[in-house]
Amino acid sequence: MTSAPYRVLLEALDPERRRGDGLPDLERTPDPWESRMQATCECLSWRGTLDNLDRRLAEDALGETTYHDFPVHARSVVVTAHELLDRGAITEKELEARIAAVRARLTRD
Amino acid sequence: MSQTHEHDHEAHAPIQSASQISEFEVLEMAVRELAIEKGLFSAEDHRRFSEWAESIGPSGGSKLVARAWVDPAFKERLLADGTEACKEVGIDWLDPTGTGTPSDYTYFYVLENTPQVHNVIVCTLCSCYPRPVLGMSPDWYRTPHYRRRLVRWPREVLAEFGLHLGPDVEVRVHDSNQKSRFMVMPMRPEGTEGWTEEQLAAIVTRDTMIGVALPKADWTATSSPSAG
Repeated sequence: MTSAPYRVLLEALDPERRRGDGLPDLERTPDPWESRMQATCECLSWRGTLDNLDRRLAEDALGETTYHDFPVHARSVVVTAHELLDRGAITEKELEARIAAVRARLTRD
Repeated sequence: MSQTHEHDHEAHAPIQSASQISEFEVLEMAVRELAIEKGLFSAEDHRRFSEWAESIGPSGGSKLVARAWVDPAFKERLLADGTEACKEVGIDWLDPTGTGTPSDYTYFYVLENTPQVHNVIVCTLCSCYPRPVLGMSPDWYRTPHYRRRLVRWPREVLAEFGLHLGPDVEVRVHDSNQKSRFMVMPMRPEGTEGWTEEQLAAIVTRDTMIGVALPKADWTATSSPSAG
């Protein structure tokens, strides 16, 4: 696990949603994408790319350091992406391009 | 077939607009799509896992409790090491692709109710729940009212579920977290002597394993609410 942040991941953080110093928001309801992300994590572990325990350890380590400003509920997606980049399973360029493509699809009128 | 339906559209939550889509959602989709394209897993893997995880119910927990009621040696193993004992009823917390868990590597503790002690579980921080044995948590379990109030006024909250415990019973609230999940083992009710494990499992409902209800010999979760 590398500790330097990936620029493409830092760009996913809306400054308005920066993690505060207080307790997490109790009123928050999990978003549907969080369940989908969990399934992605399980599939990555199942098929041998990223073991669940390794991911959890990385979430703890990077979530409190490199990606400290990200809200806790975003850790799984940010750290999983970081680990896939670290392992060369995907590249920053590919991820950047895919993010742009997904955003374009979702925001199309 | 009628093309009309009668309900209040104003009461519906509005469909998410493009401006409400978060960057994290975009990132999740991008990561998933790339992983599928790269052959790290298939879209069918993802769909099957999601469907399977959402279909897990509390029957695993019911089996654990029923077996513990009839088998003292199993009960001892269950209380000593919940994760390991789960394997005896086909639930493996460490193997998401077998018969086990939709998630994480955690410690699983089973809490035994006694005439003197009543246990109840909560997750004050978010909604941690022993999903491999109880399935998805009920809506109320995730509400701030339950999470915030149970730890401060447990008897009051339990009374709202219709569970009134005497002053001689100690109420213990167990706060779940990322590393530890809990489940309550209720006391076997009177009137169930000689019952089979299967009969017993039927009366061990989800709420009795959360700790907001007690099992009754004349009611199962599949019964009509007015039965018994």
